Amino acid sequence: MARALVTGNYAAGYTLSLAGESNREAMGCAVGAYPITPQTEIIETVAAYKFSKGRMVAVESEHSAMAVCIGASLAGARAFTASSSNGLAYMVENVYMAGFYRLPIVMIAVNRTLGPPWNIWTDQSDSLMLRDTGWIQLYAAAHQDLVDAILLAFRIAEDHRVLLPVLVSMDGFLVSHTSGVVELPELEQVERYLPNLDLPHRLRHEHPVTVGGMTFPHETEHHRKGMIDAMDRVPEVLREAIEEFEPVFGRRPRGAMAADFTEDAETVLIACNTMSRTLKNVIRERRKRGEKIGMIETRMFRPLIEDELRAAIGPAKRVGILDRNISPGSGGVFWREITSALQGHSDVLVQDYLVGLGGGDVTPAIINEIIDDLVTRKRAVAPIWKEVAA
Amino acid sequence: MSTVAETAHKPEHDCLLRPGSTNCAGCGMSLGLQWLDEALGENRPVMVIPACCGIVTAGKFPTTAYGVPTVAATFAAAAAVGTGVSVVQELNGDDHPVVCWAGDGGTYDIGLATISAAAERNENIIFFCYDNEIYGNTGGQRSSATPAGVRTTTTPFGKVETKKDIMSIMAAHRVPYAATLSLAHRDDFMRKLATARRTRGFRFLLMLSPCPTGWKSEPTQSVELVDYAVRSGLFPVYEVFGGTHYRINVRRDGTPVEEFTQRQRRYRGVDVDLDIVRAQIEQRWQFLETMERAFPVAEDRR
Amino acid sequence: MTEITLFGRGGQGGVTLAKLVATTYFLRGKYVQAFGVYAAERSGAPIQAYVRISDEEITVHNQVRAPKHIIVLDRTLIGPHMLAGLRTDGWVILNTSEAPEAYAEVFRGRRVATIDATRIAVENGLGTKTVPIVNTTLLGAVARVYGLEVTDIEAALEEMKFGGGNVPAAKTAFDQVRMVELPGQPIVPVAGEGDERVLSLLDERLVGDEPTIHTGSWASRVPDRHELEPPCNHSCPAGNDVQGFIQALAKDKVDEALAILLKTTPFPGTCGRVCPAPCMDACNRNEYDAGINVRELERYTADHGKLPLPTKPHRKQPIAVVGSGPAGLAATYHLARLGYPVTLFEAGGELGGVMRTGIPAYRLPREILDREISFILRHGVTVRTGARVDRQRLLGLTNEFAATFVATGLQELRALNLGNLEPEFVEQGIDFLDHVRRGERALRGLDVVVVGGGNTAMDAARSARRVGAASVRVVYRRTRKEMPAIAEEIDEALAEGIQLHELVLPLEVRRNGSKPLLVCQRMKLGEPDESGRARPVPDTGPDAQFDLPCDRVILALGQSHDLSILPEGAEMHSEDGSVLLGLSGSPVLAGGDFATNEGTVTAAVGNGKRAAWHIHRTLTGEDLFPPPAKPLAAPEEISMHVFSRVPREEGVEMPPELRRRSFAEVRLGLVDDPGHRPALVEANRCFSCGVCNQCDRCVSYCPEGVLVRDGVGQYRFDYDYCKGCGVCSSQCPRGVIFMKDL
Repeated sequence: MARALVTGNYAAGYTLSLAGESNREAMGCAVGAYPITPQTEIIETVAAYKFSKGRMVAVESEHSAMAVCIGASLAGARAFTASSSNGLAYMVENVYMAGFYRLPIVMIAVNRTLGPPWNIWTDQSDSLMLRDTGWIQLYAAAHQDLVDAILLAFRIAEDHRVLLPVLVSMDGFLVSHTSGVVELPELEQVERYLPNLDLPHRLRHEHPVTVGGMTFPHETEHHRKGMIDAMDRVPEVLREAIEEFEPVFGRRPRGAMAADFTEDAETVLIACNTMSRTLKNVIRERRKRGEKIGMIETRMFRPLIEDELRAAIGPAKRVGILDRNISPGSGGVFWREITSALQGHSDVLVQDYLVGLGGGDVTPAIINEIIDDLVTRKRAVAPIWKEVAA
Repeated sequence: MSTVAETAHKPEHDCLLRPGSTNCAGCGMSLGLQWLDEALGENRPVMVIPACCGIVTAGKFPTTAYGVPTVAATFAAAAAVGTGVSVVQELNGDDHPVVCWAGDGGTYDIGLATISAAAERNENIIFFCYDNEIYGNTGGQRSSATPAGVRTTTTPFGKVETKKDIMSIMAAHRVPYAATLSLAHRDDFMRKLATARRTRGFRFLLMLSPCPTGWKSEPTQSVELVDYAVRSGLFPVYEVFGGTHYRINVRRDGTPVEEFTQRQRRYRGVDVDLDIVRAQIEQRWQFLETMERAFPVAEDRR
Repeated sequence: MTEITLFGRGGQGGVTLAKLVATTYFLRGKYVQAFGVYAAERSGAPIQAYVRISDEEITVHNQVRAPKHIIVLDRTLIGPHMLAGLRTDGWVILNTSEAPEAYAEVFRGRRVATIDATRIAVENGLGTKTVPIVNTTLLGAVARVYGLEVTDIEAALEEMKFGGGNVPAAKTAFDQVRMVELPGQPIVPVAGEGDERVLSLLDERLVGDEPTIHTGSWASRVPDRHELEPPCNHSCPAGNDVQGFIQALAKDKVDEALAILLKTTPFPGTCGRVCPAPCMDACNRNEYDAGINVRELERYTADHGKLPLPTKPHRKQPIAVVGSGPAGLAATYHLARLGYPVTLFEAGGELGGVMRTGIPAYRLPREILDREISFILRHGVTVRTGARVDRQRLLGLTNEFAATFVATGLQELRALNLGNLEPEFVEQGIDFLDHVRRGERALRGLDVVVVGGGNTAMDAARSARRVGAASVRVVYRRTRKEMPAIAEEIDEALAEGIQLHELVLPLEVRRNGSKPLLVCQRMKLGEPDESGRARPVPDTGPDAQFDLPCDRVILALGQSHDLSILPEGAEMHSEDGSVLLGLSGSPVLAGGDFATNEGTVTAAVGNGKRAAWHIHRTLTGEDLFPPPAKPLAAPEEISMHVFSRVPREEGVEMPPELRRRSFAEVRLGLVDDPGHRPALVEANRCFSCGVCNQCDRCVSYCPEGVLVRDGVGQYRFDYDYCKGCGVCSSQCPRGVIFMKDL
């Protein structure tokens, strides 16, 4: 284990590479890769890795990048890639295919605002676009979270109780291009943590299955139900993955919903990625002033573990949600889903704040304004826009 | 001349296309799959099939008309999914051929960028296009493989534009092997599949695939139609080695192109100016014959 | 609300019929709905479509599960499954040629209407043969059954833009539909539950099971096999299995080929040289590039095949054969092979009849003839040469032998009175040839005229050339086209410098000094005579008569039989190609030219064979005659397009300048070279018309892979899966596979 000063992208590319290399005793690894800002450095890092049994295929589009991963995964190899923004949009039908084919592919989504108009900075419109694709979604707030999330991702994805692909998100530039200090794993550790991939439904000549053959409504229901059941098993598998993480790497990643200061909090704020770090700093300050404010960092959005979320919110009377995304005609995506999760369980006030869209810098001052609004709020209103400074 | 087989050929392995597929009666693709099966013999392929009749014919999951492992790919992605399978097979010393089996839509149109990229990377796959010159699976719309003068549901007055020359596009990628296949010339067909099988890297095979439903022709005449297309010069049967060296395998014999067109109702009810078609044939043959003279294939190359 | 379910096949137009029915009611002001069930199935697969008709807006969007009416577009789909949910107060409309009563069992107690919409659609040019489009036709029947008017049909067809044959087809159906209320209690089935497995991608039981769809149910026509009579076999006077021996040769099995020929003829070497080969005229390959050179292949087989060991007599009944020409020898051969002790009576000193005396050696070398006769005799035949059988002796034979076959050929020569001339000036061709054969004729420096157009005329002309004639002219009263001689022989004669004078009839010989002149009459062709050939009539123009100077005239005008051998009161009647003489003793048959005057060795061989079979049947009851001939494999039965064009192997002949002076054989036949085996190439050109030769093309071309060969010659169609596309039938090169309607 080495402490290193690296960018988020490097950390991701490095960890992915070790995960790929660690499957060398089995079917090896394969990558379909296509550049897009701010993800590009990840695939460059992977390209520079000399795999004992692996190949990166530099394809002509994100659509094909995922297609290569699908082919490789069905053939039994560990497959991964990375993309962002419009790249993910271009990839979508194959993202669905990976989910529907139950392939344990891992993809890094470096969050970037969808264009046009063109914008390279972070928001979550891209990864949230993929929320219904059957992928598990992990959100990493900072460098160490990112490395750990990638390792957890392979562990969960390849578990036979799950067999679903995993998307690991981080904020574009704020993490991807930011140099930070991180504990990078050794290959030996990764090999200990990740068993060889054994895909039960990989292509086999003795069983000439047609993967993706036509299904009628009844079979399709059955197929989707299988995915729901697999998602339901994720919390259990995640818990185990975390338990076994510490003996190997010497630290303990946090779970799906990381709650801080919520035990006695009357007001709880929920945020994701780097915003959650800023939020934590603000809350820590306001706690010093005796304000009963807590927070939850959503580290896993699919599956959304509702009871864990409700438990984390605890007795709070008000919940504020920071959404760096927008579903026009609805509001923040996190807000809608969390509201639904609380439905019938609580009459807590839930207010949505749309903030940092298009990569705006979400400063402590903005977050303080939000908290000021929330703590005095008697009743929830439509999502509130918090514009950032020009 | 017919070939006389001394013994019945009943393979030990499962057939590639099993009885009970949902392809139409007289479908050229079905016959193409039978011959692919025979040519590959014990060398069982992995099939990667994008959206097209070829995947629908597998029938209702969990049963399948394919007797080999098969992946349904998204429409544009066959060559990329095939790349993924092939890459992993190579890493693991597995030499089962990876065959991408696509219609003209998945080849000439939506799949073209993907194929181009896989060809440029010289991936070790056989890309087999069964070209029925139509979006058959969706009920008969024009593709860029539809020839001029043909009526489709999206060209109800007849298509004006010429069929795309996909072979030249593939040759321009300098792929190791590209060939056109005729269901009316079985020996040539089988020899080319053997060549494709022996060759490493990206191999492109283009088969004119009669479609009785889309062409509005008698299923019984499927193979004869291909014969007329070849003999009239409308569908030249040739091969290109390394993207540069040309060999025409079947010469046209002066059969009028009407022998082909008049047997299909898709050519009816439109003002097909067959002079234009004939001019296109001449131009195409002039090109091929010039290339063959300028860049001949070495005699011993089979 | 009225609900209707339609049963059809993909591509047949079922959904469109649903729309047509709906349109009909829509135009009458009703609310309607029409839709099909879409799935993976394709052209030919069973599909369903639905129609709803109501006075109010229709808000139901489910599949119809309890229809009032059903309409069946394809009779092969009819079955009890159609009764599921079917109400009893509606109509069952079936597209079938049968009457409603034919479905008295399955649709018991229901109202059933039938109409032969397929026939009507085909008659009106709607759709293809494999998939006729019957929807517009059926609309007519539906309208009638549901109590609508012809105007309703017209309006609906116009609304949906169906013109052409659709309107008359619908009206015909309107008129022709038959409606019956079937007796009995309707069957109302109880719905059962399906037991289909639902497996996910990750299920361990997922192994890629085979399709459960039995696509055979899609077929409206299926392939089957039959054998047809190849035209060569059909036309062979000897009854040879021409197709069979050539196919054996094609597989390079020359001994097998010879064995096939020897089943019907002892003279393949002779016929392979002198037969006019009607099989070659009948050959279907004449319609493609050039017919098969059967004669040369037969000769090749005879010259290269190994003769089997002859059998010996094992039967008790002795048989007499009178005359050792081709008919007599053929009968002898077949009787001997059947195990009879045969005694062969020949008036002359040598065996062979016209084959020896009438056919020159340059066409039929003596050693070939001797070899074939010797093979016959080695079957334990007793030969009596110099034994002329007259009327009295024949009666004696009927007492000594169990049966007698008389084939003494033609003895009477036709003559032409050319005036009172010295005997050596005019000679009969047959005599001339026999003299030449014995080396008793030399015509050095003489001008010779041969009269006639048959093979004897050609033989005489070419022989005259070989014994030194300065010039040889053949005069014939018709044209070359009508000449009975083998075409190749005429060509060879002309190549040897013989001149042919067509449309010339000799009248008389006149002396002009020392040089005799043959006075000739020019002829022209008139109306056909009873033989079908144009009758020659004298030309009346100027110069219609002219003189040919000549030193010798040879007559080759044909022969007629000498009936003096027949006892008085012998009545000839024909049976199975043999002529029976009604005598009191054991059976006597007559054959060959003596009885039939067919005039060729091959016909005589066939005649002798049939006589042998006849005798055998009379003596034992065993019938060796082949069953009635199968239908002829006509040229249109053959898929000629599957064959490459290959030039005919003509064989080698001696150059004319060499052969003019020699009695060595002119034709050398198909000569094997190290790099080229013309006989093999030629045999492989054979289409094998109407007879499967296990080429396996049908297997190779079955798109479904449901046509297999289990062993040599055993082909099987898997009708459970065959979709009836018919590609096998179109690819069968020889018309063995045909499509039959279900």
